[in-house]
Order: sequence, then structure tokens, then C-alpha cells
Amino acid sequence: MAIASIHTSGRESARDVAVWDPLVRLIHWSLALTILLNGAFTDDESKLHEWVGYIALGLVGIRLVWAIIGTRPARFSAFPPHPAQAIRHVRAVLGGDKAVHLSHNPIGALMAYNLWLTVIALGVTGYMMTTLRFFGIDWVEQAHELAFNWLLLSVALHIAGVAFDTWRSGVNLVRAMVNGRKRIPAGTKVR
Amino acid sequence: MKRPKRSVRARGRRATGLACLIVLQSLCALFFIGDVITDVLAGVKPYDVHLTIETLASVTLIGGVAFMMVELRRLLARMDDMDTGLKVARGQMAEVMDEFFDDWNLTAAERDVALMILKGLDNDAIARVRNTASGTVRAQATSIYSKSGTHGRAQFTSLFMEELMSGDFSPRHGSDGFRSAVAKAPDDSLRAE
Repeated sequence: MAIASIHTSGRESARDVAVWDPLVRLIHWSLALTILLNGAFTDDESKLHEWVGYIALGLVGIRLVWAIIGTRPARFSAFPPHPAQAIRHVRAVLGGDKAVHLSHNPIGALMAYNLWLTVIALGVTGYMMTTLRFFGIDWVEQAHELAFNWLLLSVALHIAGVAFDTWRSGVNLVRAMVNGRKRIPAGTKVR
Repeated sequence: MKRPKRSVRARGRRATGLACLIVLQSLCALFFIGDVITDVLAGVKPYDVHLTIETLASVTLIGGVAFMMVELRRLLARMDDMDTGLKVARGQMAEVMDEFFDDWNLTAAERDVALMILKGLDNDAIARVRNTASGTVRAQATSIYSKSGTHGRAQFTSLFMEELMSGDFSPRHGSDGFRSAVAKAPDDSLRAE
């Protein structure tokens, strides 16, 4: 009895798969922190705001390098930007598909690219404002503002998406980004 | 008891430490690169000592980052392999035990006791866990030994040790632990049903 129960529980119950390596997690939460700091706390005109912005830019830079040479789920090849596939994924989800993606799911991948690009846009326009050439030029400031608003919207969607997918698939995605492991429920298909 | 789990945890800490270093050093590298670029744009001559040292520092820092990234990848791959190997060994050991217990026609209670014997509990501890008299456990243990044709605890345990050492355990199915761990699981669950 004991053996049998241990035996089957080992097989039937959820299994843990290591997905996000420490570097991915560290960059993710650091980037979230820099966005929070610059969005809510630092004075927009201050040096601190600039430096936090450069750090955010640097973090995205490291992540992009890691997406080329890093661990498998962290690589571009694990979550290529593929809008058609994203649409197919959304349709499948609406149709009740419960499959779990080890890396980002196709729509989540688009969000990741979107967030990185937006942070880059914020960083670049922010830097331009500090240069003599672009200082005080209207469209640069407006672009910075626009990028920030877009980032806020994206972050909100990102959090909503994580909450939705956690509810849909039963894989706690926040936990996965904290300890790096996705606990995949028994009998779930993995992609 | 020293168990492999500990070294997995130690490696996990090492990986986290490496990741922190990578982030910090990359940011430093970017700072120096930015400084070099602004210096050059500001018209500092390329053979300026300050600029040369700064450039050298940037190159060295980037080299260090690249090295640490490769090291981190290797460390993580090793951890993954170990994880897979352990899981496979554990699963196969459970199968072996199940087969043996079936062969010997152990009762449910005896299976329970046998498992605890293998896990290293003594009779008193087993009695406490199962809420029975230690005399009962002793009787069950005796029955287990006689059914398995062994003369006691040590010989009983060594039966399984022998199985582990002689068996052909080759958990490596692919070079990459990440995929193989995932790919292996589905047919495992099929077998259990």
C-alpha cells in the first residue's frame, strides 16, 4: 500500500520543471523594480531618474544577450516573435486548450518583446533629452511620455495575462518567476 | 546524512551568485563603455592614457561577463542533468521495490514496514509511526525477512543495494536535461495507469 501510493503519487501528481534560470529571474525583478522606481518615486528631472533609466536599459541589454547564448527556455528560439502563432494560441485557449508552454506562450512572448522594446524606447528618448541637441525638443519629450503610458498599459496587460494564464493552466507563473520552476499539473500537455 | 540534494542546493546558490555578478559586472561594463564613447565624442585623443585604460577595462569586463555567462550555463546544465538522473533513479528504484514486494506476497502492512526498514527506521520508530506495539513490528519484520529469504535487516537492505549496483541504470537520454526530463514524463504517466 505504502509503496503503491508513493509510487502513483510520484507519477500522478504535478511535476516540477526548472524553467527560468537565476539570471532571467534576477533581470525580470530588477527591471520591474526600476520601472516602479522611475514610474512612481524618482523625480523626473533628477539625476537618479536618469541613472535608474540607464540601469533598466542595461538590464534589457543583458537579457537580449542572454536570449542568444543563455539557457534553452531563455533563448529567442524558445519563444520566437510569431503573431500568427499568437493568434492561433489565443483561439486554442478560447477553445479550452489547457496545454502548458515551458517558456513564454506565443502571446506572452509578444508581450515580452513589447516590454523590452518599450523600455528601450524610453531609455533612448530619455537619453536624448539629456543631450544638448535634443534638449527641450517637444517631440522627444512627447515620445518619452507616450512610451511611458504605453509601458503602463503593457505592464497592466502583462499582469492580467499572467493572472489569466495561471487560472487557465493551473501553473502558478508568479511562483515560476520566483523559484524558477513550473509545477505542471498531472496529465497536462507540455509544449 | 549527506545527501545529493544538498549539493544541488549549493549549486543553486552558486548559480544565483553568478547571476548577480553577471548583472553587476555588465552594468559596470556598460558604464565604462558609455564613458569611453562620450570621451571620444568629446574629442579625447585615442592614445590618451586615461582613455586607453578605460577601453581596456571595458574589454576586460565584457570578457569576464561572457566567461561567467558560459560558466552559468554549464552549471545549470549540470544541475539539470543531476536532477533528471536522480528522478529516474528514484522512479526505477520504486519500481524495483514494488516488483520485489509483489513477488514476496507482502501484505499491505508488511509493505509499509518494509519500506520504512529500507528508509532506515528502527523497529521502535516504525512502531511509533504506525501506532502499534514494537512487538507487532518485530513480528512483521520477521515475516518480511522470511518471505524475502533473508536473515535480517542488513541482508534485506543489501538486496536492494545489489539491485541498484548491478542494474543497468543509464538515465541520460539526451545531452540536454531540460528537454529529456520533459519528454520522459508523459510515457511515465502512461505506464502508471
